[in-house]
Amino acid sequence: MSATDTSTLAVQAATSATGRRISPLASAKLKQNLRWTNWAPAVITFVIAAALWQITAIANPYVIPTIDQVWMSLIKDADTYWANMLVTGLEVAVGASSGIIAGFILAIIMAEFQVMERAVMPLVVVVMVTPIVAIAPALVVAFGFGMTPKFIVTALVVFFPMLVNSLAGLRDVDDRALDVMKTLHASRWEIFRDLRFTGSMPYVFAGLRIALPLAIVGAAVAEFVAAGQQAGLGSLVTIAAAQANLPVTWASIALLCLMGVILISLLALVRKRVLWWSDGAAVGR
Amino acid sequence: METAQPHAGVHIENVSKSFGPEGARTLVLNHVSLSIKMGEFVSVIGPSGCGKSTLLKTVAGLIDADSGVVKVDGMTVKAATKNKMIGLVPQSPALLPWRTVLDNVRLPMTVNPKANANRNLRDPREILESFGLGAALDKYPGQLSGGMQQRVAIARAFVFDPSVLLMDEPFSALDEMNRDAQRLGLLDFWQSNRKAVMFVTHSVPEAIMLSDRIVVMGAHPGHIAEIIDVPLPRPRTIDVYATDEFRDLEGHVRETLREVMGQKSA
Ligand SMILES: Nc1ncnc2c1ncn2[C@@H]1O[C@H](COP(=O)(O)OP(=O)(O)OP(=O)(O)O)[C@@H](O)[C@H]1O
Ligand SMILES: [Mg+2]
Repeated sequence: MSATDTSTLAVQAATSATGRRISPLASAKLKQNLRWTNWAPAVITFVIAAALWQITAIANPYVIPTIDQVWMSLIKDADTYWANMLVTGLEVAVGASSGIIAGFILAIIMAEFQVMERAVMPLVVVVMVTPIVAIAPALVVAFGFGMTPKFIVTALVVFFPMLVNSLAGLRDVDDRALDVMKTLHASRWEIFRDLRFTGSMPYVFAGLRIALPLAIVGAAVAEFVAAGQQAGLGSLVTIAAAQANLPVTWASIALLCLMGVILISLLALVRKRVLWWSDGAAVGR
Repeated sequence: METAQPHAGVHIENVSKSFGPEGARTLVLNHVSLSIKMGEFVSVIGPSGCGKSTLLKTVAGLIDADSGVVKVDGMTVKAATKNKMIGLVPQSPALLPWRTVLDNVRLPMTVNPKANANRNLRDPREILESFGLGAALDKYPGQLSGGMQQRVAIARAFVFDPSVLLMDEPFSALDEMNRDAQRLGLLDFWQSNRKAVMFVTHSVPEAIMLSDRIVVMGAHPGHIAEIIDVPLPRPRTIDVYATDEFRDLEGHVRETLREVMGQKSA
């Protein structure tokens, strides 16, 4: 695996080194990615896993459902699943984006004013070490069964990795570029605008890579504790599990997983567009 | 902008600097005095850790001296940086990888724009072309060789027409062949844009090739041991290396460096 990793890395480096507009290398890279040695191992792993699952499911009908049972449930109740997926999707979208923006803005404030880090970071750490599973029911009591507690829980889990990573990124500027800026008597704003902001992006994307899957965890957990609402894939999991309805339980889990895969793939696409200048070896991977 | 001629250039007077916590301070610069006239090229050479970079950073306004005075064109360093009178070429090119070569060179114009008034700003394209980078304007730093990147960094320091150029071992990361080409290129450009230059280097031939004077520093604490004149005629070409005068000077500088290092271990 690591051998193919480094080879794609080298190709990536070559593409970025010759510019984004030049296509021959890009298509060479595509060819490289499409080579069967690249995707076949993963496909084989998935096929084996699915086969093992199916064998286990057939041998233990009350433990896990078979894949075709799950698939049938997905087809039969497609509308219900879609509606619930939208609810969870909305929670993730609203919660994650507010957590991401809040984390990044607080990171900027802390990076520019060290006093703020000393003043606020201890509180942030205290909140973050408190298990989110314990906070969620309390928030439901405070804000009711509506969307608000779900937004808050999702935002909370996203906030910390964003803050920590962005802060590290904003701090990790090229000292020598900073020296050049200082001899030009650059203002703090100019240093932020020209140096820190873009320079922090590899770290920001590393933070997003951690934060986005967590956002789904946050939304699902919030739905578990407020399952009375009966909306969202997380609620669906708890309700179906309580009724020992295995196909629905696992169909919902599969959809949560699918949401995560979609989010991570989108992130990788955006990352490529934004961070084309950062070599793959940098922190942001 | 026009200042009285006698003040033009860099004046360093009795500058001392120590680092470290109270009680365990080490003296890094001990009463260093040096003047660089307008249009004069001065190299600073000396053993590692003798305080060359510290001296350069003091002139750049990146480090405050404990005592002594630094003036640039008769102004304090602070006032000089406010007026963007100092161009810095750091040891690594320190270009912004997400900006094109052209936009990297434009950076000094967009930063602290108040100081752009009444000065002879250069056309970034033109300056890059004269550095042989005309074909690389729209490339990104990651697409350039180390030598090309360093030339971009030098163009970035020249573009806003500072009175003083400070370079800290700008060619140290390049291989020997490349270094020679870069030296000649720099010399060529400087010949028609005579700034006061302070050039830190570890290379004796480089110092001789480029400079009007060579400042030899000693360590523990950092001080100026000797200042050696380089009377070789300008403009200089690669043929200078083969002359007797060059070899004599090289011997002299190396001898002085040996004395300085010996002093340290004694
Ligand atoms: N910010 C700092 N804090 C503490 N000590 C420092 C600092 N900067 C430099 N020094 C010390 O001051 C001394 C001189 O450092 P300086 O970088 O000026 O040396 P130099 O002559 O440029 O060396 P080199 O040729 O290796 O670049 C060194 O002993 C170094 O450890
Ligand atoms: Mg140094």
